[in-house]
Amino acid sequence: MSWWHRTDWLTRAGLLCLAVLVLGTVVATVFGIGGDPEAMVGPRLAPPGGDYPLGTDQLGRSMLPRLFEGIGTTLLLSTVAVLVTAVIATLLGIAAGYWGGWLGEVVMRLVEVLYSFPTIVLAILVAAVVGPGQTATVCSIILITIPLMTRLVRAAAIIVAQRDYVTSAVISGAGWPRILFRHVLPNISGTIAVQGTYALSVGILVEGGLSFLGFGVQPPQSSLGALIQQGSTYLIAAPWLVIVPGIVLVVAILAINVFGDGLRDSLEPREARSLV
Amino acid sequence: MRLFSWWLRRALSAVVTLFLVSILIFAASRLMPGGFAEVVLGPFASPEQKAEVSARYGLDQNILVQYWLWLTTALTGDFGISMISGEPVTTEFGLRLPVTAELTVAGFAAAICLGVPLGVYTAVRAGRGRTAAVGRLASGLGVSVPEFVLGSIVVFLFSRFALGLTVGGYVPLSEDPGQNLRSMVLPAAVLSVFVIAVTARTTRDAVLTVLVEPYITAAIARGESPWFIVTRHVLRNASIPVVTVLSTITAYLLGGAVIIEYLFNLPGVGSYIVQAVGRRDYAVVQAGVLLAAVVFIVLNTLTDAAAGALDPRFGTGSKARRSR
Amino acid sequence: MTPLLEIDDLVVDYVSADRTVRALDSAALTVSAGETIGIVGESGSGKSTLGAAIGGLLPGAARVVSGSVRVDGADVTTLRPKQLRALRREQLGFVFQEPIGSLDPTMRVGKQVELALRGWGTRADVLAHLERVKLTDPERVARCYPHQLSGGMAQRVAIAMAMAGRPEILVADEPTAALDSQVRDDVLDVIFALAAESGTTILWLSHDLPAVAKRCSRVVVMYGGGVVESGAASAVLAEPRHPYTKALVRAVPAAVADGERLTSIPGQPPVLTGSAPGCVFAPRCPDVLASCTEQRPPLVSAAGRDVLCHLAEQTVEAGR
Repeated sequence: MSWWHRTDWLTRAGLLCLAVLVLGTVVATVFGIGGDPEAMVGPRLAPPGGDYPLGTDQLGRSMLPRLFEGIGTTLLLSTVAVLVTAVIATLLGIAAGYWGGWLGEVVMRLVEVLYSFPTIVLAILVAAVVGPGQTATVCSIILITIPLMTRLVRAAAIIVAQRDYVTSAVISGAGWPRILFRHVLPNISGTIAVQGTYALSVGILVEGGLSFLGFGVQPPQSSLGALIQQGSTYLIAAPWLVIVPGIVLVVAILAINVFGDGLRDSLEPREARSLV
Repeated sequence: MRLFSWWLRRALSAVVTLFLVSILIFAASRLMPGGFAEVVLGPFASPEQKAEVSARYGLDQNILVQYWLWLTTALTGDFGISMISGEPVTTEFGLRLPVTAELTVAGFAAAICLGVPLGVYTAVRAGRGRTAAVGRLASGLGVSVPEFVLGSIVVFLFSRFALGLTVGGYVPLSEDPGQNLRSMVLPAAVLSVFVIAVTARTTRDAVLTVLVEPYITAAIARGESPWFIVTRHVLRNASIPVVTVLSTITAYLLGGAVIIEYLFNLPGVGSYIVQAVGRRDYAVVQAGVLLAAVVFIVLNTLTDAAAGALDPRFGTGSKARRSR
Repeated sequence: MTPLLEIDDLVVDYVSADRTVRALDSAALTVSAGETIGIVGESGSGKSTLGAAIGGLLPGAARVVSGSVRVDGADVTTLRPKQLRALRREQLGFVFQEPIGSLDPTMRVGKQVELALRGWGTRADVLAHLERVKLTDPERVARCYPHQLSGGMAQRVAIAMAMAGRPEILVADEPTAALDSQVRDDVLDVIFALAAESGTTILWLSHDLPAVAKRCSRVVVMYGGGVVESGAASAVLAEPRHPYTKALVRAVPAAVADGERLTSIPGQPPVLTGSAPGCVFAPRCPDVLASCTEQRPPLVSAAGRDVLCHLAEQTVEAGR
């Protein structure tokens, strides 16, 4: 883990933050901390404190377990979508960058088409076709994150394809699967990792936005976006319903972005120059 | 001449992309629940109306003919009838376009007027160690706060406490420009935060890349002042990647406007599309998505052309040599 | 009288997140006005760092640990930014390795030369400066963008800009390394002719010992972040004292008699991470002594020659 030594405290803080979020959610879900997220146990719209650390919603459900469920749903949907994107974008990017030719042309055209839609607009189109819900969320994230990742994997693959070790492998008669898996893939894995990290934050953002508009995760299931959407009706009377999941959402995205920045800087450090 | 032929190729490529986008939206409109007649007419249409639409769009003919009829109808500006209002979709859009345009233009202006100077400043004053990390955290925060979270907090604060501006109560620009601006300040500000941060980050990256170029070292070695170097050498060279990112920013603004209009209850195209999906008013959805894509592709082509005009190396092939 | 340039005990580190590399380790050099100095060393010897340090042009990752660089008595390492800029404008000129990259790609050449003249130049002055560097069609060159020029033309433009202010010192960091061999001599002719005309002292950084010895009055040999030998060009080439210089001379094809073998220097140049305890050349030195790895070599000055070597010390003492 040589890159770890090159990262600064902010990058490590980002990773730590993310780990706490994931582990906390897993532990809370496994041990049922805060009780049943679906149970209507308390008074409606109770402020945080006492039996309900984060208050209750309009149906008297405790917000703490609902928040844990929401974090879990959001992270799970985003991660699944980004993993699919990573596989597809790597295949497409290598095809376009390493082989190029008409195949590359076709791939980049398709990517360009997807890239032509503003993210939330593309998500709305997906939701209109497949109907609101988790499927629409995952499909939207995949379609939204594919273009950028494919482009960058392609750019990285083009550079790697020109390297001497690839040329010498080709000359020594290595088959293309060997070249791809032994030489190309390891050398673009950094790009994939960095872009995957950024894609994860985009995924969380898309889940939030789509659910906020009411086309993502549907009640009674909770996700960070869905919690904010449901809470926004009672924004003035019970602001904690929106502010708490909002802060968690911001922290999650920020932690991932900061970690991604640090990862990028440690994999491709840049010079600095002052003008005096 | 070389630049001209490059622009021509770029324009042709945009037309091809537009064509493929239209195929995608066409396919999506056929896949929407209820079939295409319902997309155009809504679920409560009479059999006669359905038959009429079926004939007009050639629904009984093969898919290529159907696409051709759909495309030619759309090219004449006819996107069907809104199921909810019974008015042509084009008319409905015309009423709402000014709101969305005002928001987008305000966001764009903020990105350029605030994001670019901020990016240049942070790059030239690139601190190290702790200061650099704080700068990263601040710019990271800007791109990490989704507009629906920031917007909700703003709505809460301005509704709960008397802070001088009220939320909601949109007044058209033509009716009372002063009131219109007052009602648009908060939505535009919330929409701008993200684009300002993105523009600042892109500008900062671009400037940092330019700052390590040998011609900057040469200018420093000639004893030029930082101000001189930034204004004479850095800005123009860094503007090339910044200009190309402006189209991405537009795409974001168009998407962000959807959420902002919905959140602040503004009668724009974005909130209209959101309502349309909820009411299964698919003619509106299809037209709205197409509109957003067309605007984006056109702007993307224009910014590429602008980047080409800014860089004398463009289209000569020597750019590839310089960029590592 | 203060010398024109006086570099004393200069130590420079390059600091990155995971390690620190010492680029200059107690480098010292004194130059008087009117000399033409050739600084010779392999890549990694610290010569570029030394050149950059003269103008206070070290990259962001560099740290001056100790020592001083005085130009006309003013210490570059402690000057305030404003004074430093005045010094660069009035007393220093720089020519770099990458000719086309040293020019702003988005600005016409004529405009760039005009800016280098700092508002004093008219159109005619710009063309006159381009003519001084023996560009055949100054009108056309002035209208060109840098990418439309050949490397040799671009380097002439860069020289014209560097010499526009008639500097006291011109630092040329491998100015011909990126050029075709046919135009190298022409470009060097231009540099030396202009410098002679303006009374400019040249510091030519190069890895090519014979080429440097041909044009310069004095040769300075650098190894491992320090100056290991310096003296009159002809004397150093004919009779090198430091084992590294000896090896360098033996590695030059022209210096070897017919039938004799060209010898390469065994081993790799060092990458220092801190102050070296002994002589940096010791691991590769054919004449290494026991003291070499433990004690830093002393500076031995004799007959206009400075040598940093334990062996030289013994030779001198034996001669007494």
